Amino acid sequence: MTATLPLPATQALQVLTIAIGAPGISGVIARVEARLQGRVGPRILQPYYDLAKLFRKEALAPAGVGPFFLLAPIFSLACYLTVPMLIPVLTSYPLPLGYMGDILGGGFILALASFVVAVAAAETGNPYAQLASSRAKTFGAITEPVVLLVVFSVALVTTTDLPYALSATVLSGPDQIVRPAHLLASAALFMVILFETGRIPIETHTGTIEFGMIEEGRSFEHSGPHLALLRWGSAAKQMVLYTILINVFIAPWGLSSTTRVDQIAFAIFAFLGKCAVLGCVVAVIDDSFAKLRLLKITEFVAAAFLLAVLGVFTLYLGGG
Amino acid sequence: MLDVTLTHLATLGSSAAASTAPIQTGSAVASTMHVVAATGVAVVPTVFEGAANTVAVIVLLLEFMMLRTALFRAQIRLYAFQSLAVSVLAVVVAAGRDIPELYVLAVVSLLLKVIIVPRVMLRFLRDSRAEIAGSGALGVASEIILALVVAGFGFFTVGALGIQSPVLPTAALGLSFAVVLVSFVLMIVRRDVVSQAVGFFSLENGVSLASLVVAAGLPLILEVAFLFDLLVAVVVFGVLIRVHQTRSSSLSTVSLNRLRG
Repeated sequence: MTATLPLPATQALQVLTIAIGAPGISGVIARVEARLQGRVGPRILQPYYDLAKLFRKEALAPAGVGPFFLLAPIFSLACYLTVPMLIPVLTSYPLPLGYMGDILGGGFILALASFVVAVAAAETGNPYAQLASSRAKTFGAITEPVVLLVVFSVALVTTTDLPYALSATVLSGPDQIVRPAHLLASAALFMVILFETGRIPIETHTGTIEFGMIEEGRSFEHSGPHLALLRWGSAAKQMVLYTILINVFIAPWGLSSTTRVDQIAFAIFAFLGKCAVLGCVVAVIDDSFAKLRLLKITEFVAAAFLLAVLGVFTLYLGGG
Repeated sequence: MLDVTLTHLATLGSSAAASTAPIQTGSAVASTMHVVAATGVAVVPTVFEGAANTVAVIVLLLEFMMLRTALFRAQIRLYAFQSLAVSVLAVVVAAGRDIPELYVLAVVSLLLKVIIVPRVMLRFLRDSRAEIAGSGALGVASEIILALVVAGFGFFTVGALGIQSPVLPTAALGLSFAVVLVSFVLMIVRRDVVSQAVGFFSLENGVSLASLVVAAGLPLILEVAFLFDLLVAVVVFGVLIRVHQTRSSSLSTVSLNRLRG
């Protein structure tokens, strides 16, 4: 008889896995990207050192900002760490709080977090931070329909929009995987994730060119622990989105189906491995494409929209 | 506690498969294609249908990519890929439905549409210095939205006809109509002869997709005759491109704004 883990502990473990693993995944991506460019690149653990360094520094705020500016990083990180309770991170069965919200609910929480960061950036007088937050909201508005259509196709496939249900449906057999609706929705979601995490066709992730910045530009006026929280939050957001893509859409294998400790431990490693593989794919994309000009982003989003709409169409025709 | 959640999940997750499984096993596959179960879930297609539909979707997606491409060579390459997808679909159907003459068709169409036609087209373009097509009548994003509306129209009109096929899922027929309509959009909105020619050729791809769905058992000689029809079209378009190029020394159709007797 092996030891079992109580369900609330597993749920807490899901959040902890994301919170602690997220900077590591960013580190893996940065490392792989550098290796592909022929550079040695930073250590995989570098993001953790960066966070530790930033936490030790003093926090400065521009004159005239309110408490909102200082609370926004904490609030956004809290939002990003709420979502792992709703999605299958380690287990294939729903945990007690798993039915608190569906995919749309998770999407709302993610959107709320990015809204709070954008408002905090707009509160400063920095033109680049304001430019970035206005861009983030503008382009966010045009990616929203894509996300909705992806959710629609999930809803048409499973008659619910619970992430656990789709994950179980994908696990049920190959006929659920090769159907075009599923492939199209997954591809559209992947494009949305590239957009949301600020990867290459949209923006350079570590760039210093203010004119092209969307996600990165918003944190210009934050410093010290607040900047650390924002960085950590964007890493956590990236990993949450990867989790949704991997464990709900593409590869829900390796999830624990029982409460046994050894299975859950295996699930943690399998999950981190899958995220690292997806990170490598993202790094390859980062290195093989050029950044789109700002006005061309609508074309990128139009392509994602096309995929999502075709997915819903094929479902309605009965062949999806 | 855990048992309860697990069974709950089982009913949730497999509701798509489980609730409709009796219908699927109860009647022929073809007739269940359009059946929507009482729960509102579309019947899960089999792996063969899923694969066939996916290839058909790829054909349509390549058609959409042609709308976006600005380089002539890239456009012709996309046409070659699209023809390859159609040949692959012929092979999938041949293997899945056991129709051996489709293998022959796949090989002939591979030779003709993937190798010969693109080569001939590239040769026609060799003398031209222009490499980039001018912008179309609309922006790319608007073009794609427009094409999407047109494709949706094609999808649902064909869906409403209720044509059943013993060979391929009905969705593929809708997709083939969407390909035809989107290629019309391509020919209308682009203002260069190459895009218009490629649009015409890819229209033929849409038609052969439709013929795979509706009449996979069509006598081979007829199918091959269609393919050689295409070859004639290529020659005609090639001559037109050449003439246009020598007269206006460009590949754009913007200068063609006068009618002459």
